[in-house]
Amino acid sequence: MAILEVRDLKASYSSSGPEILKGISFEVENDDFFAIIGPSGAGKSTLIRCINRLLEPSSGSIKLNGVDVLKLNNKELRHLRRHIGMIFQEFNLINRMSVMDNVLSGRLGYVGTLRSVLRIFSDKDIQNALMLLERVGLQDHVDKRADELSGGQRQRVGIARALMQEPTLLLLDEPTSALDPKISREVMELIKDIATELKVPVLCNIHDVQLAKETCNKIIGLQDGYKMFDGPTETLAQANLEEIYSMEVL
Amino acid sequence: MTVEAIDSKAAPLKLEDIVRNRTRKHRWHLAFYILALVLIGWSIKATIIDDTDWERIGTFSEILKSVSQFIGIDFGLIPDLLGPTIETFMIACIGTLLGLVICIPAIWFGALNVTPFKPVTYPLARIAMTLSRSIHEIVWALIFVSAVGLGAFAGILAIAARSLGFIAKMSAEAVENIDRKPVEAIRAMGGNNFQVMLYAILPQVMPVILGIVIFEWEINIRRSAVLGLVGAGGLGLVFFRQMHTFNYPGVTTVILAIFCLVLVGEITSHYSRKALI
Repeated sequence: MAILEVRDLKASYSSSGPEILKGISFEVENDDFFAIIGPSGAGKSTLIRCINRLLEPSSGSIKLNGVDVLKLNNKELRHLRRHIGMIFQEFNLINRMSVMDNVLSGRLGYVGTLRSVLRIFSDKDIQNALMLLERVGLQDHVDKRADELSGGQRQRVGIARALMQEPTLLLLDEPTSALDPKISREVMELIKDIATELKVPVLCNIHDVQLAKETCNKIIGLQDGYKMFDGPTETLAQANLEEIYSMEVL
Repeated sequence: MTVEAIDSKAAPLKLEDIVRNRTRKHRWHLAFYILALVLIGWSIKATIIDDTDWERIGTFSEILKSVSQFIGIDFGLIPDLLGPTIETFMIACIGTLLGLVICIPAIWFGALNVTPFKPVTYPLARIAMTLSRSIHEIVWALIFVSAVGLGAFAGILAIAARSLGFIAKMSAEAVENIDRKPVEAIRAMGGNNFQVMLYAILPQVMPVILGIVIFEWEINIRRSAVLGLVGAGGLGLVFFRQMHTFNYPGVTTVILAIFCLVLVGEITSHYSRKALI
């Protein structure tokens, strides 16, 4: 059964501006690790940000577990976002806070405003945070400030933070493009292992086709706002890639 | 090769044209200088020559004598200075703190990226900041002395009102220049607007705001030293009294006390701001 259903999604940054997404439809199933590939400017980041409405699509529909995401009001949207973990290209950590506080901030959607002022989190949250930090291999860096870590370590903090939300869907926006090739592979492997363990479907923007083929089981190819390919990784042929990246050759 | 040998075919410049242009330019310059001199002369005449009571000044030696009255220290005054010095220091501290408290809504309203309702709240905050800065602290003190009476409280309010402009303006600009990425992260995980401010914005601007506040505190020590002139407490009041009783060494003593206090402020400010970075 499809956990995420996107139908005819269109988006542009302003009402008069050019359309970035020109009618995208696809479905994500329960154990999918979905890659979105395509050249720069194809609309990969826009697509990902439409799913949790960091950007408002202009038309179409997005259904997560049967809930129409585009019809939610502000409060309902915040409640929905708690269940969608997001991992960012530049990690988007809070640099002046400790690793622990960064990971705990993944619970903010569940914590009351007053409690978040005093940074009071439950013992269970702290225990989970410690467990996750251990799982991503950062048990020795719990009290360090986030900006003291290396790029790969910071992205691991980002992963732990997203998992703190107990997500039903993970959105990854170019999680490895700020990292070197070796660390990129390690980070992707880690995300894939954890996603399999927790049975969380993943939707991942990635420009490294090789890495996408290695880690993902399904691939969407975007080009200039259109979907050029959608299918299992094995069926992605060289001809498809040439079609997706044809703009770059021109 | 000589200059004459250059063959200029394209529109040769005529010598007389150039000379005429240069003379015209020189005339304009001359006219400007004359006008400036006349203006300066008129200012000196109107302010210094007409406005000074020349008969009262007397001879050069008499001027020196008047100035030398200020040389010397009134040691008897020193014990009486301790209280007002501490009071001045306290006016600066509490005034700055109070200023910071009223700055918080002003920063929130006055930063374009967080202001709750742009067409109303943004101009409101900006007007408050400009108003605070365009009124001198002595005038603020006069206003508050008439509102809450003589004493340190009026001084504290004046300092707070005068601090708003600088602290809020600089801090609002710091908020406008934050890195948007953590904001996006907190939004994406379902945080509300308040949590976005608390977790994504505040940690970024905190060191900047603290630096601004310490700098303003240092300036406020200087300001609170003169507020007493209009009855708003502190060293200024003692200064005013010495002046009125013609105790010139006493005036020098108060000035020295102000100097020491300001020095303490500057040193503290220098090291604490260094520690922040």
